[in-house]
Amino acid sequence: VTDDWTIASLAEAIAGGRISPLEITRECLDRTARLGPRLRAFITVDEERALATARTLTDELASGRRRGPLHGVPLAYKDLCRIAGLPTSCGTATANYFVTDIECTAVVRLRAAGAVTLGSLNMSELAVGPFGDNAHHGDVENPRSPGHCAGGSSSGSAAAVAAGLALGTLGTDTGGSIRLPAACCGVVGLKPTYGRVSRAGVMPLSWSLDHVGPLARTVGDVALLLEAIAGHDPHDATSSRRPPPRLAGIDDGARGMRVGVPENFFFEGLAPAVEGAVRGTVGMLERLGATVKWMRVPDPAPLVGAAQIISSCEGATIHGRLLRERPDELQPVVRTRLDVGLHVSAVDYLQAMRVRSRAARVFIREVFREVDLLVAPVIPEPALLWVEAKAGSPGEVARRMGRFSRLTRPLNALGLPALSLPCGTSPDHRPLAVQIVGRPFDEASVLRLARACERETAWTSARPSPA
Amino acid sequence: MDERERQVTTAVADLAAVIERVGADLSLAEEPSGFTLALEAGSPTESQ
Repeated sequence: VTDDWTIASLAEAIAGGRISPLEITRECLDRTARLGPRLRAFITVDEERALATARTLTDELASGRRRGPLHGVPLAYKDLCRIAGLPTSCGTATANYFVTDIECTAVVRLRAAGAVTLGSLNMSELAVGPFGDNAHHGDVENPRSPGHCAGGSSSGSAAAVAAGLALGTLGTDTGGSIRLPAACCGVVGLKPTYGRVSRAGVMPLSWSLDHVGPLARTVGDVALLLEAIAGHDPHDATSSRRPPPRLAGIDDGARGMRVGVPENFFFEGLAPAVEGAVRGTVGMLERLGATVKWMRVPDPAPLVGAAQIISSCEGATIHGRLLRERPDELQPVVRTRLDVGLHVSAVDYLQAMRVRSRAARVFIREVFREVDLLVAPVIPEPALLWVEAKAGSPGEVARRMGRFSRLTRPLNALGLPALSLPCGTSPDHRPLAVQIVGRPFDEASVLRLARACERETAWTSARPSPA
Repeated sequence: MDERERQVTTAVADLAAVIERVGADLSLAEEPSGFTLALEAGSPTESQ
């Protein structure tokens, strides 16, 4: 059995009888048992039920039944997705922190498409924090760059894919929490348009900024997962009524696509390796036939402040009970960030929402009348060493967290689809990534441009590590 | 007031100053729900 599967190649091999759901599930579980203590990617491994499901799926295939495009594909989910029969800690010290009658809609849809659930994945406490540290469940190790942070908050989701513990995962993104760990661990992560994927059955951090999305090794795999989870859900009031995206054209190449590169904000204060890799990607896109335009975009900086007010107020509202009754359980930085929301005025919160509305309208109108997509860095620097990420006072750590996520947060406030794509490595072999941003609900173009890059490079074909 | 409380107080004051500045020229007609309309209006179906 190889550890070099993608979801697409595995699904095809399963359908063709070359490997069974039980065999691949066992392989993932064995790998998790071997690497788990070092990586700390999982919070709960649901071995017994995963094997039982895999046996059932294997039997169904033998009798000619295939549930869907993911039949027998082992997946795992961030530990804030409510999964029937499993505790949902949300990265806190409380095993059953998030209790709801509604199972995570995205998980239900993936299961209906034939996926096997391996378990729930480690994350930053309450999905707060871009590094992936967790005082209760352990800091997630970066499989591609030992000693460095995995990125957060969907740290386990990215690390599990990078290490080949799961073929694909779900994460959530309130300020970059899918794209940052994807970038740190060298995998692909997509934050879909706000409203594209249901948030039902997922612990909220900020109703206005939360997005659920997939992580996987390749762009094609992310597209497969998005197709399975997208679409209206009556359990989520913010869920769009648009039909799921049509992704048949993602192999059409970059020719003819109009790509904007922001001259302002996104290229300020970058590490040289990051800037070089992103500029290299831009050059490659030109060679592939895209029309590239360097352009000034409406300043995203006001959005960062507005988003901070929105997320802290909504987070403090949602997690107020924990904050009031058991504050000492929370990591100091998490507590401080939520505490801010208790003291922001209602007027400032509503002003932030109005600022966001205007900024979204202006940004979308100004940018997308000239280009189809934007390309920008994901993180100003490669993954930090753990000792660097956690050094200093809580205030210093909070400022470092702000710098680390400054390029992803505006896209949450704007609600636009944004994908993190590996685009090389630093001289010391840390993964680097580029962010591709599209019009609202135009995930198809985002995936098409990313797929064009992927086909030209070996960035997403790296085998899971460590071997 | 301990260090953590000072951080919270400073952060709240900073955010209030930011939002006062960037929201100073908002139109009276601007509503929080305008965000969803902006997404719908900017999607490919409507704009292309």
